[in-house]
Parts: sequence; C-alpha cells; structure tokens
Amino acid sequence: MIDTTASRAAGNGLAARAYGLLLRPEASVVVVSVALVIYFEIANQNFLTNANIQTISQFVAAPVIIACGEIMLLICREIDLSVGQVFALAPFLMENVHDVGVPVPLAIVAALLVCALIGLTIGLITIRLGIPSFITTLGMLFLITGLTLTISRGYPANTDGGPILTGIMGVWGYSEIVWALAIVAIMHIVLRHTRWGLHTTAVGGNIVAAAEAGIAINRIKIANFVLTSTLGGLCGLLEAFRVGSIDPLAGGSNIMFLGVASGVIGGTAIAGGAGTIIGGLVGGIMLGVLQDGFTLLGINAFTFDIVIGAAILIAMAANIHLARLRVGGAR
Amino acid sequence: MSEAGAEAIRAENIVKTFGTVTALNGVSMRVARGETLGILGDNGAGKSTLIKILTGFHQPDRGQVYVDGRPVSLGSVDEARGFGIECVYQDLALVNGLSIYHNMFLNREPLWGGPLKLLDHKTMRRRAREALDEIGVNIPSVELQVGQLSGGQRQAIAVARAVSSNNARILLLDEPLAAMGAREARLIIDLIDRLKARGDIAIVMIAHNYAQTLEICDRVMLIQHGEVTFESHAASTSAEELLDIVRREYRAARAG
Repeated sequence: MIDTTASRAAGNGLAARAYGLLLRPEASVVVVSVALVIYFEIANQNFLTNANIQTISQFVAAPVIIACGEIMLLICREIDLSVGQVFALAPFLMENVHDVGVPVPLAIVAALLVCALIGLTIGLITIRLGIPSFITTLGMLFLITGLTLTISRGYPANTDGGPILTGIMGVWGYSEIVWALAIVAIMHIVLRHTRWGLHTTAVGGNIVAAAEAGIAINRIKIANFVLTSTLGGLCGLLEAFRVGSIDPLAGGSNIMFLGVASGVIGGTAIAGGAGTIIGGLVGGIMLGVLQDGFTLLGINAFTFDIVIGAAILIAMAANIHLARLRVGGAR
Repeated sequence: MSEAGAEAIRAENIVKTFGTVTALNGVSMRVARGETLGILGDNGAGKSTLIKILTGFHQPDRGQVYVDGRPVSLGSVDEARGFGIECVYQDLALVNGLSIYHNMFLNREPLWGGPLKLLDHKTMRRRAREALDEIGVNIPSVELQVGQLSGGQRQAIAVARAVSSNNARILLLDEPLAAMGAREARLIIDLIDRLKARGDIAIVMIAHNYAQTLEICDRVMLIQHGEVTFESHAASTSAEELLDIVRREYRAARAG
C-alpha cells in the first residue's frame, strides 16, 4: 500500500534519518562550504583571521538579506528583479528626508516606508493587472534607477548620524552580519511557524488548492513583495552606513542576482512551492567564501566571474537532482 | 437530527442554463444520512453542473435545494460549507510540497496562544493522526509530504480532511476512482464503506465505472442530456441494464 520512498522516508532508523538529512540541499551546501574553507585556509594562511572573517561577513550579509525576501517570493512563484534598485534608492530617500531637518532615525523609517510602498505598488500592478512579476519588476528596475539618478543628480553623497547610530547601522565591522542573522532568524520563524509562511508555500505549491482552502492568495503575494522591497531598502541603508557614502549606482542587478542565487543554491525551487531561509543563509555563505577566497588567492576578476557562474550552475543542477532523489519515483 | 436514514440533502426540479445550453432540465435527487448515491452519465450530461450547484459554485435558475429538510440557498462555496457540504476533487485539493498534517489543516491551522500567533504543529500532528486513525486511513507518518503518496492515499487524505477538519456531513466525491489501479481503488472503496457505516454522513459520488459504482453505492441514477433517465437501488439493477440504456442512447444519437 505504501510505496518504497514513503516508507523509507518514514523509517525510524537513524540511517534513514541521516540519509534524509544529507539529501537536503542545505546540508550539501554546508559540506561544500566547509570544504572550501579548508581549501582556502590551506592555500592561504590568512583566510581564517579575524580581519578576513569580518570581510567575508560583509560579502555574505547583503545577499543573505536580499535572499530572505526573494526566497519568500520565489516560493509563491513570483520574483522581484528591482530589489537592487530599491537598495540604491533607499539611502538617497533617507538623506533627502534628513536634509529637510528630520532626525536620521526617523529619516531611516521614512525611507523604509517608501520602500514598502514601492513593494506594494509592484504587488498591486502584478496582481490587479495580471502582469507576471518578472515584467512588472523589470519595468520598475529602470524606473527606480531613473528616480535615484534624478534625486541624486548622479552624484554620490555622504551618510550622516552619530557614532552609535552609524555603528549599529553598519560602521562596526560585524553589524551588517548581525542584522542579516537576525533577519534570517525572524524570517525562518515566519516561513516555518506562521500562517503567512505556510500559506506562501501552499500558494506556490498548488494555487488551486490554496484558493479552495480559502487562502487570500493576493494578500500573501502582495505581503511578500512589500517584504522584499523593504528588506532591499534596509540592506541598501546598511551598506551605505558601512561604506560611509551613498552611490546612486550601488547594488543593482548584481546584488539582486546574488540574493536569488543564494536562495536557489540553498534549495529554493525556482518553480515555487519549496524553499528554506536557512538554505538562503548557507547559499550566501558559500558565495561569500568563494568570493573572498578567490580574492585572497589573487585570482583575476574576469576568471572569478567564470568560477562563480560555474559554481552557481553546479549548485543548482545538484539541487534539482537531489530534489528528484527526495521525492523519488513515488508518482 | 443526524441519525442514519434521515434525509440529508434533496434537490427538486433543478434547472440550469448557460446561455442557450440547458445543462439541467428539472433534475431531482435526494440522499439520506448513511446512504451513498452514485451519479452516472456521459461527459456533458450535467453531472458536474449538479455537483457544482450542490457545492454553491453555481446557482440554479429554478428549483430548490433542501438540507435536513429545510429549504436553503447555496449562494457560495462558503455558504454550502456552512451547511456541512464539501466536495472532494481528485488531486486538485492538496499541496504536494506540504506535509499531510499541514494539508489537513490548510487555512484552519490551530495556533499557539499569545501575540505571535505561531502555528501549533504539535496539535496539528496529533489531530491529523487521530482523524486518519478514526476513519481507518493507514499512513506511516503524518509528516510525509503529500507528493510522496500514491493517488489513492492522496484521495484518502482529501476525504479525511473534508470529514474531520471541515466537519463535512454531506460529502460530494468527483470521480473518486478515476485513473486508479485496483489496489488503490480498494483503499477508497473501503474508506467510503467505513464512512457509510458511521451513519451520519451522506455521500454523493460521480463515477464512470458502472461495476464499481454499483458495488459502492446504495442507489444509482443516470443523467442524460440534463435529465434523470434512470434511478434504482443498486441491488435491483446491473451494469448490463445500465449499459443497455446508454447503448440505446448512442444508437439514437447515431441515427439522429
């Protein structure tokens, strides 16, 4: 009556559990990351120093924060291509609000509210007009770039704020990764332990079934667009404070694709219905370790992109294959 | 009120047209608690339209539906649910990527108390297990993903959800045995038998296979061109008799 895959997965034996765990995409990415760390430490003794770990953490933080939003969107079969542009816009919003006399903390909140509004707009256009989010956010990508260049007149600016605020927001070396880990922890709970998360998975897995059960599909999707834009804005603010200056061409499609890649390497299904926040974290760590390791080894930037591209392709291919193994030939 | 034999749902002279097409032309039916009615008919005969009227998805142009003997208006699927009417569609209703217990409580999840409103997975697992045991669905673990189950097991989960979590008392099954092997079908037939034995649930099923329908159902009715052309207790008819009626229709259709 029960097919073999089901009974195997349900087996109480420790071996069965270990087998199931190893098939999880997060586990394989962790194994690869640890192997990479060992390799880089042997190849270059400076890899596991405090200074370098701090650098890695800065490589990792931004893609992971972006990934937290994109993973939620990918799970419910949407995507936001414009999150990297919101990333660039947010610091300028903050500076403009601050320039008219609003204190920096309030200016940060105002900037994030505008980012949330952008997410709401993306969501409403996508849902109400029935346009695929790929197209909606492709349009928004150009629109927001133009907006940022107009507001900034194309010039970089400096961040303001006292030492404590700027410290918390990114000047202290580890603050960005602390933000990233806190967001990961919260979003993990949201995805696994709230109706919002469960219904996001249901909408992506079987939209007809979700509608049949009475789930408010549009509200779930719009909430995830708002979340992603807001996280993109927050991430842009953190980076701006860390660097101390605001660049109208910061972030962009590069940071967006790193976020999406982190999620997908960590096992989030591009076709929706499955994914984990922890996977996004380990995917981001793997990309950060690669990026930093190759930089330390002095590998040419052009070669580096080839290696990263290949690593992403291999990781995605491996995950699709592992997903097949997990479900087995049950159907 | 809900003892076996009492009338659960009755439809009288239901007429439904879509533009110039008359899907149902004065169809009447009734099912009692503890009884199973099989609705047979060709594609496009009107079976699905009747089911969709009973689930509140369509509203009839004329005619009246009664639940527990009282006239009701089923304006929406939610209203019909309020009367304990639930339809199980094959394969459509479950999310393959979610566990059995998440599927069974989809959008009716119990929550922990407190401001955070976190999901109470523990209660969900326990109650899912109890619900499956109660109606005798044998699944090793409620934590399995639905995608790992066979077609019959998925169908059983969908029925269990309707009866246990949603408290359905009038169960409509749309082609519950379609595309199922003999062993899979046996799983569902046994499940329907156990639900019937409980005595408080009325079951209406749409089916194609005459032999299986006669085995499962207490009564069968045949819908042709939007009208009930034959109705009988399962025991007093046969697959041959039903086939004869349908064959005659085919000949008439060819001659015309």
